[in-house]
Amino acid sequence: MSQSHRPHPTPKQYVQIAVVLGILTAIEVTLFYTESIIGVFTDPLLMVLAISKFIIVVGWFMHLRFENRLVNRFFVGGMILALVLFAIVMLERASANFFFS
Amino acid sequence: MNDHGYPHEPTGIETRKLGMWIFLSTEILFFGTLITTYLIFKGRSFDGIRLEEVYDIPFTSVSSFVLLMSSLTMVLAHNAIEKSDQERTNIWLLATALLGAVFLAGQIYEFTEFYHKGFTLTVNIYGSTFYVLTGFHGAHVFIGVVLLIILLGVGQRQKGLSLDGGMNLEFIALYWHFVDIVWIVLFTVVYLI
Repeated sequence: MSQSHRPHPTPKQYVQIAVVLGILTAIEVTLFYTESIIGVFTDPLLMVLAISKFIIVVGWFMHLRFENRLVNRFFVGGMILALVLFAIVMLERASANFFFS
Repeated sequence: MNDHGYPHEPTGIETRKLGMWIFLSTEILFFGTLITTYLIFKGRSFDGIRLEEVYDIPFTSVSSFVLLMSSLTMVLAHNAIEKSDQERTNIWLLATALLGAVFLAGQIYEFTEFYHKGFTLTVNIYGSTFYVLTGFHGAHVFIGVVLLIILLGVGQRQKGLSLDGGMNLEFIALYWHFVDIVWIVLFTVVYLI
């Protein structure tokens, strides 16, 4: 059904991608337990790892990188709207704390 | 007509598939709202026990790994159906459903443990947002497992699956991977940060 022209990965490549995802998860858990050593960099590193896993699954397992541009726009559009919502709520919360604390 | 007997659409993509992706983008907003609500209360001080006092990171890490690997079995099922390999398709679909069931069993066990330790739905508003967020994700996994079982049943009745028809493996695969990416975010935001 896929209407893309670029070939999808082979089963062997899917397994390799899954191994990478497993390694990234192991690194995440390691970072959690080494927070006292890594300090303030832990949370940003955890976010980078989560975003990397997210992109790998969406791009390769969901085949978004092989899909029609329209699909990409809808999916990225949903992501942007969710992030805007998050930013608005956090800004409102920050301003409420600033004015009422 | 394309390879599967559906007419070419002006958008360049089959309408049903486009509809599935639009549905997933609305799901992003749904979970985005729940995650935002959870983050508003995370880190604030409330009466009662906190998640950090009861969770078991090694256990949840294994659950996360199980769900991650279910995405692999799902994509292997999709690959097998593209090659019209019915036997492998059924094996990988069954494996995906089983891994999903293992994840759900883990979540039920985890929730039970939290409840016995005092971290309940009503302990405080932070507890409520945690259970609503992870509970809705669990409900999505449950729906995914049910869809996979129905798909396997349809395959048995029709003597094999294809990429055509209403109960389409590709759409269920997209839904399953989506459930996985939501957990990737939740595992980091709820448990690790």
